Amino acid sequence: MKEIEKLYDRIIQRVNINLRELEFDVNPYVQKLIPFVQMVKFYAFYGISPHHPLNFQFRSSNLAGSYFLGRCKVTNSLLYKSDIRGDELKKKGSLFRYQDYEVPVSDNEEIDIQDSLLIKTLVHNYSHDPETLEKFFITDTIAMNYANIHGSPSNGCFLGVFATVDLTTMRDCVIGNFSYVQAGEISHLRIDPGTIWIRNPGKFNFFYQHPIEQLNDYIYFTAGTPPQGLFMDFIEDRKEAFQRVFDMVNIEHTIPVPNNASLDRYAVTKGQTHIGENVLVCQRAFIQNSWMGKGANAQENCFIINSRLEGCNVTAHGAKICEADLGKHVFVGFNSFLRGRPDSRLNIGDDTIVMPHTIIDSREQLTIPAGRLVWGMIKDQKDLETNSISIEEFSAIDSSISIGGLFFEGSGASFISAFKDRIEHILQANGAFFNGSDKKGHAQKNQNISFNTIQPYPEGMKKGLFPTIIIEP
Amino acid sequence: MNYIVKDLMVPISEYATIPEGSSLFKAVIALENAKQELPGAIYPHWMVLIMGKNKKVLGKLSQLDILRVLSPRDTYTDKIDEMGKFGFSSNFISKMREEYRLRTTSLENFYTHPKTMNMNVEDFMKTIGENEFVDENTSLDTAAHLMFVKNRLSLLVTREDRFVGVLRLSDVFSTVLNAMLKVTHTEGNA
Repeated sequence: MKEIEKLYDRIIQRVNINLRELEFDVNPYVQKLIPFVQMVKFYAFYGISPHHPLNFQFRSSNLAGSYFLGRCKVTNSLLYKSDIRGDELKKKGSLFRYQDYEVPVSDNEEIDIQDSLLIKTLVHNYSHDPETLEKFFITDTIAMNYANIHGSPSNGCFLGVFATVDLTTMRDCVIGNFSYVQAGEISHLRIDPGTIWIRNPGKFNFFYQHPIEQLNDYIYFTAGTPPQGLFMDFIEDRKEAFQRVFDMVNIEHTIPVPNNASLDRYAVTKGQTHIGENVLVCQRAFIQNSWMGKGANAQENCFIINSRLEGCNVTAHGAKICEADLGKHVFVGFNSFLRGRPDSRLNIGDDTIVMPHTIIDSREQLTIPAGRLVWGMIKDQKDLETNSISIEEFSAIDSSISIGGLFFEGSGASFISAFKDRIEHILQANGAFFNGSDKKGHAQKNQNISFNTIQPYPEGMKKGLFPTIIIEP
Repeated sequence: MNYIVKDLMVPISEYATIPEGSSLFKAVIALENAKQELPGAIYPHWMVLIMGKNKKVLGKLSQLDILRVLSPRDTYTDKIDEMGKFGFSSNFISKMREEYRLRTTSLENFYTHPKTMNMNVEDFMKTIGENEFVDENTSLDTAAHLMFVKNRLSLLVTREDRFVGVLRLSDVFSTVLNAMLKVTHTEGNA
């Protein structure tokens, strides 16, 4: 197992060199976090379908429990139970729009992961960096449990647990636990845990920080200790249900799935769950006793429990919804945690936008009217008043506003329009509007994916490393 | 300009100094008094030196440093100040500060609060860097070069290991000005 240990140390060293200016040492965060024996235990798997590109190159890496789709190159890296979804990459000959430019894409884009350690991380979407159109690179980067690297090329960065970087190129940055960053381009920044920052220069700037003492109850991770808190317990409690779907080669759905919907074979469904038309349930999603209305989706690492989603709902990567009733077109952002109680359910009206990394955890019955923008940490009605605003009112902001812990500068209308456009795009990409012949999306294209497994060397110096594997059509 | 540093420096005996352990209020008074007590000086002192035992300079404080210390701070204002790095405009940051000032009473009378006035200077003084010293026999040209390269408003002047005075940008600038005027005057007469 010597080689894999050397690789681990090498990655740590490379990331530390990049982060030396921030005086951030990744070593105490990651040392001994994953026993090497775990890295040998799990197979990796990749998907094949006529609807997705196929090109994988794996070299000198460990891929334990990771899933690959599309075009992806992994070199000198350790990927532990991560999802690398290359099904939204740019195609050769397409045009990339950036400001007033329309840049032709000269080759099929690929995800290129080098000298990095990704733990239970999701990599998805495409590079939004106009400087690297054909390459979605992740180099010298460490991403911790349940981080999302979404359309965000990264060089020399550390992402804490449940951190999300979205549509942002990052260089030499530390992204704190449960922080969400969507800022176009960032470098040499250290982002505190629980920061929600969305910036489009010249248009808007949205900034909120979770109260750290309260956030620590949900997720706490610091040097020398493993990640802990309610989020970790929540996932740990449901871990066993995934064991079965990963252990079995052929698995049949236990609930009816319409022929225009997709329930991934690596997803878990339990109890009385309804899958409506054009619904997309991705791998590692968990649905229990819930109603998924027409066009709703549950993306990777989502948990939807004892809840009803009326339709065209986006439940973004890592979001969790328990004991809640959501109207139509409700957007729940990345890693949000929405929890009502059986005797005091959470109700969310139509067309509401729940911002990424929002925590709503109420012991009292809470109703969010239709058409609201919701963010931050909400435990009761009083919190709701300082952490939400009607979308109409927010759209009228033309200079700045500060409500509770939220700071906003710029055009509210521009911010809302950007979000609404994106939600529409996600629904479209996921196949929510499929009409039987047109507007196919992931829900229709992902129905027939074959999965192949690959395994590492079982012993010797290369124990745990996968041999060089090149898979082409 | 055939001057050397010791021709222009303000000797330590004429400079505003306070002993270590002094309060913030004492530092403010020392700066104010220095303005009045410097005989025949065109430019007042903008800085007070904090002297340790054995006449060693421990640190310095400018008017700006003192205003920085006196700026009311709490976790909220720290957060606002930090927002510049997240791309918020300085107008927005000033507006947030102003709004906070209006809705909180904790910042009122901050300047005159005994706790503020009695703060120990060692807790907020600027320590002296190695590159802030210049030997008294250095030419004025070299000293001026050091000032702009290191972006310093003053340099501490040494004689061997001893601190003997302060070379101030204002005095260096006056000398340059006088040299120019002299040339202009000579040419005019000719």
